[in-house]
Amino acid sequence: MTGTNPTLAPILLIEDEPSVSAFVRAALERKGYRVVQVSSGAEGLRQLATETYAGVISDIRMPGDVNGADVHHWIQQNRPELGDHIILISGDTANSETQSLLSGSTTPCIEKPFRVQQLISTVEKTFGKP
Amino acid sequence: MRDRKPFPKRRRPTANRTPSLSSRSSLDISHEFMDLALEAAHCRELPTFLAGLAARASEMLQSQWGAVAEIHANKVELHRRNTTIPANDKQRDWIISKVNVRRPGLEVLPCERDHSFCVFFPIYASDHELMGTLCLRRSTPEMSSEDERLLAALASYAALVMEKVRRFSQLERSKKQWVEDIDAISDYIVVHDQAWNIVRTNRSLASHIGIPPVALVGEAMRSLRHIAETGSALPCPFCQNTHEQREEYTATGQGRTFLVSTSRTRGATEEEGRTIHVLKDISDRREAERRYRELFDNIQEGLFFATPEGQFLDVNDAMVRMLGYESRDELLRADVSAHLYPTRAAKERLVRTITARGTLRNYEEVLRRKDGSLLHTLQNISAVRDAQGHIVQIRGLMLDVTEQKTFQSQLQRERDFNQKILNTTQSMILLLDTAGLISYANRRCFEAGYRQEELIGQRLVRLVESSHRQDFEAALQTTANGQQVENLELRVKRSDGSVGHFSVSLSPSRDESNQVNSVVVVMTDITDAVLLQAKLAHAEKMATIGRLVSGVAHEVNNPLAAILGFTDLLLEDPKVPESAREELQIILRETQRTKEIVQGLLSFARQRPAQREPMQVNSILRQTIRLRSYDFSSHGVEVTEEFNENLQLAMGDPQQLQQVFLNILNNAYDAIQESGNHGKIRISTRQTMGYIEVAFIDNGTGVSEPDRIFDPFFTTKPAGKGTGLGLSICYGIVRAHGGEILCWNNEGESGSTFVVRLPIASESALAAAATEAGR
Repeated sequence: MTGTNPTLAPILLIEDEPSVSAFVRAALERKGYRVVQVSSGAEGLRQLATETYAGVISDIRMPGDVNGADVHHWIQQNRPELGDHIILISGDTANSETQSLLSGSTTPCIEKPFRVQQLISTVEKTFGKP
Repeated sequence: MRDRKPFPKRRRPTANRTPSLSSRSSLDISHEFMDLALEAAHCRELPTFLAGLAARASEMLQSQWGAVAEIHANKVELHRRNTTIPANDKQRDWIISKVNVRRPGLEVLPCERDHSFCVFFPIYASDHELMGTLCLRRSTPEMSSEDERLLAALASYAALVMEKVRRFSQLERSKKQWVEDIDAISDYIVVHDQAWNIVRTNRSLASHIGIPPVALVGEAMRSLRHIAETGSALPCPFCQNTHEQREEYTATGQGRTFLVSTSRTRGATEEEGRTIHVLKDISDRREAERRYRELFDNIQEGLFFATPEGQFLDVNDAMVRMLGYESRDELLRADVSAHLYPTRAAKERLVRTITARGTLRNYEEVLRRKDGSLLHTLQNISAVRDAQGHIVQIRGLMLDVTEQKTFQSQLQRERDFNQKILNTTQSMILLLDTAGLISYANRRCFEAGYRQEELIGQRLVRLVESSHRQDFEAALQTTANGQQVENLELRVKRSDGSVGHFSVSLSPSRDESNQVNSVVVVMTDITDAVLLQAKLAHAEKMATIGRLVSGVAHEVNNPLAAILGFTDLLLEDPKVPESAREELQIILRETQRTKEIVQGLLSFARQRPAQREPMQVNSILRQTIRLRSYDFSSHGVEVTEEFNENLQLAMGDPQQLQQVFLNILNNAYDAIQESGNHGKIRISTRQTMGYIEVAFIDNGTGVSEPDRIFDPFFTTKPAGKGTGLGLSICYGIVRAHGGEILCWNNEGESGSTFVVRLPIASESALAAAATEAGR
């Protein structure tokens, strides 16, 4: 078990469900990633506008004006360097809004409920190891 | 006639004349003739005169007796003083047989048996007609020329008087006849002279006034003024213009109408001129004419008189109105026949028919009004012919039936319209009498396969399934009582023996007296609609369930993710003791199971397949069957494939479709195992109405509730065996492919049938898929 690496930019976790974000944060920190956690899309966008992140993990379905798809879109527009450093979390990949977001995109999506191993391997593949 | 000279030439008396039998002197003879002339002048009775003349002749010529035989057209009358002669009938008959002979002059014939002689001398009229014969009976045949001359003189004298008397009586007779004739005339006749005095009237006029005809003679014409008022200023009320030889006019008086005809004769002198007035009472005729005219003018039917060529001679107002003309004159003036008949052929047809038949009854003809609009008429026409049989006039009566025609054609149109509805509607329409017997069935009934004899005259209730008959009879009774029954749902036997679900409406139909005399029954086979409705309700239910489970699944996923994640983290934690680790494994396993359930629910509620690519349904089926073929053959389940090898492609996810087919096969296998039958699964494919249809027919136990088989968590399998989501997932997958999945129990045999229908891929979808694959 490695500690968090302070020199590496943190990962922004946008997830409204506290139990899910707690688990994801714990799993990532155990692997040595630094995690900044917000509970809404709007807050996530504010963070992205001011801070530097190594990558973004965002739930697709969230309450409020900004959902995962909007975050994804905003990054493509405003932080193109982060364009391929996004991981989406979905409750149901087969639903039509998720499908339309994912079709024609290489953005990885992890379907809930997922195993820790599944999460870590997707994060390492997408953001690199800490 | 002039050359016939019955009289001997009068000869002058000569010295050598034969001595006369008589010894009379000329003076005696002169006296005799003077007496005769006097008798003739005063003669009132011809027979007396002739008898006297015969007696005188007998005396003058020394005869035994004398007679004059007067010859009438068909009889002979003997005139003599002494009626005892001739002595007997025989003698008389002999004489009569000799008198009616046109002899030129004197003839002396010996009498039969008694040595005497009869002298005959003919009496001729001036026109040589034999009027009679002078007969003398004598003892000697000798007659001197003197005697003969005397005889001739007497005969001519007799002729003169006879002719005078005859003419006079003829004149009397003819005058009397004339008066009788005039009196026999019922018209009033009055003759007046130049002085305006009545010369004659007939009996009719006199009896009208109430006095004998003679009483009027000599009266002034003025006295007849009351008979009729003519307004004439002349002394005769009937004379208007005395310069005219003839006059004719009508006059009225005392409520009567007279036709006054006047003739004026000119006499030798002005005074002898006569004026004859004949007053004919034409009141009745005038009345008849007035009535006729009134009828002619006021009758609603058109009346006409026309030439055979069609030119109107007279028409009534109704006719003028009918044909749309301003006035009678306009119609009579115009040569309308060309305008009247829309076609020349129509007119020729009429002329031909009337010539052949003489009369036409209820002859239908379309005529053209003045404004060109069409007039439908019904005509009764008769032809008036002359003595040679040529038609001289056509008379007719015309009815305007345009409205009736319009009404009729409107009725016809409505009938056609109704007929079309009756014939094209998809509902069976029947007419029942109040006893429930079918009297009419529309075309749809026969298209549906019923035979004429199955319906007409039969009771409709026979077609209703026995459990519904009471409902139907009750509805029929309600309708017979005048109330409508709508949308009664009945199970009715179809023509092929199957039973369908029918919506039945019954309406009462009433006669003129508002009595229900029949019932109109409209029956619609709503079996398909009922099925469709059930299907829709099912689909709706499934969609509701889908939305529900989808929501639940999402909500469950978050805590599930946390449970699964933290369990993983705990298991990775070396500080967790081994004993707890085992329990964590249980949590992990159950969480995994929960995850599967949630994913199953999500695939049930899924809207579209994960993949969309062209699929060969037959080959997916074959692959699926192959997966289970070992199990099937080892358990003696016989699988038959009846595939249509020319199936088109469908679009979708082959993996998911395989999952569906496998699920159905597994179910069939389980049902067969449960039933213990010698297992048979028949799998067929076909194309129908834009769909690829796959049917799985097994001979297993069948399905307890086919309607609920696709509901999530509905299972007939023992607890623990299966999640109850298998067929729900199949349902979700097939629906997501735009298809449908159905299940029912086999009719009449064990087992059930599952049908999967998938839409055939459209050309555009195939083209898009080809582009996608090429990228």
